[in-house]
Amino acid sequence: MNKTWLAIGAIVVLGLIVWGVSSMGGKSADTSTGPIKVGVIVPLTGDAAVYGEPGRNITQLAVDEINAAGGINGREMELIVEDGKCNGQDAASATQKLVNVDKVQVIIGAFCSGESLAAVPVAASGKVAMISPGSSSPKLTDVSPYFVRNYPSDATQGSVLANIAYTDKGYKKIAFIQEQTDYAAGVYTAFSNVFSGLGGTVTNEAFPTETSDFRSIISKVKGQNPDAVFIDTQTPAVTGRILAQMEQLGWKPKLFVSDILPGDTKTVEAHKAILEGTLAAEVGVDPSNPKFAALLVAYKAKYGVELPFQSYAQTEYDSVYLVRDAILAVGNDGTKVAAWLHTVKDWQGAAGSVTIGTNGDPVAGHRPEVIMAGKPVPYVK
Amino acid sequence: MDVLIQIILNSVIAGSIYALAAMGFNLIYGVSRSFNLAHGVFASVAVYAVFFLAVQHAILLPIAIALGIFVAVFLGYVLERSIFRPLRAKRASNLVLLIASLGASIVVEALIAIFFSSQFQTLSSVVPSFGAVRIFGGVLTGVQVVMIVSAPLVLALFWLMLSHTRFGKAVRAVSDDEEVAKIVGINTNAIIGVVFMIGAGVMGVAGILTGFDTGLDPRMGFLLLLGAAIASIIGGTGNVYGAFLGAFILGFAENFGVFFVSGEWKYAIAFSVLILFLLFRPQGILGKK
Amino acid sequence: MEYIFHLAILIALFSIFAVSLDLVAGYTGLISVCQAAFYGIGAYTTALLMQNMGLNFFLALLAGMLLTGLVALILGLVFSKFKGDYYVLGTVAFTYIAYSVFINWQSLTGGPLGIPGIPRPELFGFSFSSSFSFLLLAVAFLGAVYVGARFIVSSPFGRVLRAIREDEEAISVFGYRTSFYKLLIFIISTMIAALGGGLLASYLTYIDPGTFSITESIFVLAIVVLGGLGSLRGPVLGALILVLLPEALRFVGFSPDIAAQMRVLIYGLLLVIMMRYRPQGLVGEYKL
Repeated sequence: MNKTWLAIGAIVVLGLIVWGVSSMGGKSADTSTGPIKVGVIVPLTGDAAVYGEPGRNITQLAVDEINAAGGINGREMELIVEDGKCNGQDAASATQKLVNVDKVQVIIGAFCSGESLAAVPVAASGKVAMISPGSSSPKLTDVSPYFVRNYPSDATQGSVLANIAYTDKGYKKIAFIQEQTDYAAGVYTAFSNVFSGLGGTVTNEAFPTETSDFRSIISKVKGQNPDAVFIDTQTPAVTGRILAQMEQLGWKPKLFVSDILPGDTKTVEAHKAILEGTLAAEVGVDPSNPKFAALLVAYKAKYGVELPFQSYAQTEYDSVYLVRDAILAVGNDGTKVAAWLHTVKDWQGAAGSVTIGTNGDPVAGHRPEVIMAGKPVPYVK
Repeated sequence: MDVLIQIILNSVIAGSIYALAAMGFNLIYGVSRSFNLAHGVFASVAVYAVFFLAVQHAILLPIAIALGIFVAVFLGYVLERSIFRPLRAKRASNLVLLIASLGASIVVEALIAIFFSSQFQTLSSVVPSFGAVRIFGGVLTGVQVVMIVSAPLVLALFWLMLSHTRFGKAVRAVSDDEEVAKIVGINTNAIIGVVFMIGAGVMGVAGILTGFDTGLDPRMGFLLLLGAAIASIIGGTGNVYGAFLGAFILGFAENFGVFFVSGEWKYAIAFSVLILFLLFRPQGILGKK
Repeated sequence: MEYIFHLAILIALFSIFAVSLDLVAGYTGLISVCQAAFYGIGAYTTALLMQNMGLNFFLALLAGMLLTGLVALILGLVFSKFKGDYYVLGTVAFTYIAYSVFINWQSLTGGPLGIPGIPRPELFGFSFSSSFSFLLLAVAFLGAVYVGARFIVSSPFGRVLRAIREDEEAISVFGYRTSFYKLLIFIISTMIAALGGGLLASYLTYIDPGTFSITESIFVLAIVVLGGLGSLRGPVLGALILVLLPEALRFVGFSPDIAAQMRVLIYGLLLVIMMRYRPQGLVGEYKL
């Protein structure tokens, strides 16, 4: 028995030494000439990796631009990307590493709301600022003085669509098909609060994430004869599955989708017949904005594909520049950067004019869209 | 009324796929007396092979399907030779086999995710479209018709094999008692090996059909395995006909569960059925005491 | 340094889970794949009582353990009818059912949104909010669990458990009511798991159903199998290796997407290799 304990003890000590040495490696403190390290947390595995991959590319693109233009007061910006896997535990672990090992002062992210909810307490206790370009859960509003986001809360997405559904379209009964995830549940709650407040009724068929066979859920919803169906999933792939099975069953209801879908040109194109006239509320993009147009060109040039998920892309791109401006203004210090980010007003970026309120949420919200001939276009009453 | 008919059809579709998965699973259980938790990976590797060949490399679909099934059979052979046979030779308990097969299943699933990403994919670009069939107001796609036909077809083949061939007789002998079978001169290792390959091949078919029907992701094999395990216990472990019956009971329970309760309780319903059977009829409907 | 504390805390917590599972799996021979479900019940109860009723962490933790014990009592009555691989399947089933409850009982658990902002423990005005103080707390609990478990397995009660594992029928011939012993150790094991779960919730400050899925149950089983069934050092050793291994992968330079799958791949591979070549684990005493 003692031998084993000795072995365990030896492994522990050895491990500590290896870590101690590797973390000392000369890059512990924020020296004034080395690169400024900024953390990034995005999902790189799982279904949500479809957002994480472009997210990593776009932030890297922005950093390359900044460094090519001389960096921040002559210092380069360096990104340290961690996988939050779109869940709380891994995001908390990734944040621990960024805060304590890499000693970053600012983290861009997290992307999924579940990631951010878990990451914020860790970042806040390490006095590290976070700016999320994608987390939209209403639970994140005013969650910490160290957290801001330049992507709006789902509360606005839900209320915009609920108002259109009830007032413009005269729908009284909406059926949700909702994936059991944080984001999708947030959209459902926001929509259903407003819609039932107006006098309508909302039913909800939730399903576990691993579901692949939706036929019975669709059949059941069809039998309830709703005025419209709201497909509310975490990722476009799952919406695609549901749409394909609706097509198979030969049912073409009036549809709402959450803002994850319109930016996914592949899925929208593949199901454009059933999606014709579908309503969504996206943060929306403005191709006439020169900064956004430049982003489109630069992304295509660097990565060889069209810019995906454009409404997230613009906020991800802007978040890097917001961080640069914050560090330029107040230095690489988590507390000061967080305070500065809370005062952003009429800042011009790829997403247009950005103003962040004292609750950490951007002031602008979701704009309604309608899908026509496989393309989202602005909704007019 | 239309809704009810569609739900019944959906139950039959789900039941057919579970039946394909469960019959092979149960045949293997019969000869090896242990739950092969790696059974699900046969479905995943087959359908990912089809995806790799037909979608990513534009190889003719029938060839891709044949190769996909072959990959599953081959993996069945490899797993049996490298894990199950050595463990049987060491007279390992079936808990060891259970944990080892669980480990193998995790490894293959992770490998698939590393090579093909864990994202959901479709075969829709290569699926032959037979159009839809309408039955009493319900709808079936061509792929689903193939599913519904192939389950009883495979059942019939199993029956022919088990009751009318020398090989089938040997399989039944091994299922009854491996030691006695050995004594009367049956090469039990060879029999078990072939049964593994047959089970893997049928599971491969189930995987490919599921891929055509709803798409593929690395997790699908494990979910099919869970369905197969539940169906086998409901119907009676080791009994191929019981597996067929259990699969349809599970298919109906799940889909009517969605209809009467709600979709989010699907797993809870399936596993509650399992616990009830374990508790009150552990030998299953057609099982021997 | 903080990062090392973080890993050390995770090792301590997973050691608690693994020791608790070993009491059932290693000492009594009941391979159970539902430890995550039970530490989930402990975690949710602790978190909810602290958040909604403002209860002190230690009282909430106690309540969580009691509730878990109650659930285990009911479930144990059912499970005591199962044996061998049927027992395994029964526990798999329960893990899925518990997960469904965590994710679907939204009014209580917050469903997929989880519970954010769980406070750190406080005792007589001292808050265990720094990583170092929490590490001391976690190690203290691990020590208590370890000593308690050592006491159980070396007591006459523990000897009966091992006898059940070796030959249940033989021991029942001597007049021992084996189902009673099995039930009791099952309850004890789940209550220890719940203790670890409460600590985990308070440490992460955020829990969601994904923290308690079947994958985590299999992970805990892998820890015990690697370290060695039927020994108390084994699970601690297993936790040390399996928690550090994936973290090491982060530093070796695998891209994060590959590293995540590599973690899963490695513990799957370990299960196969251990079963094939060393079913008693690294330092275990019980061969399945």
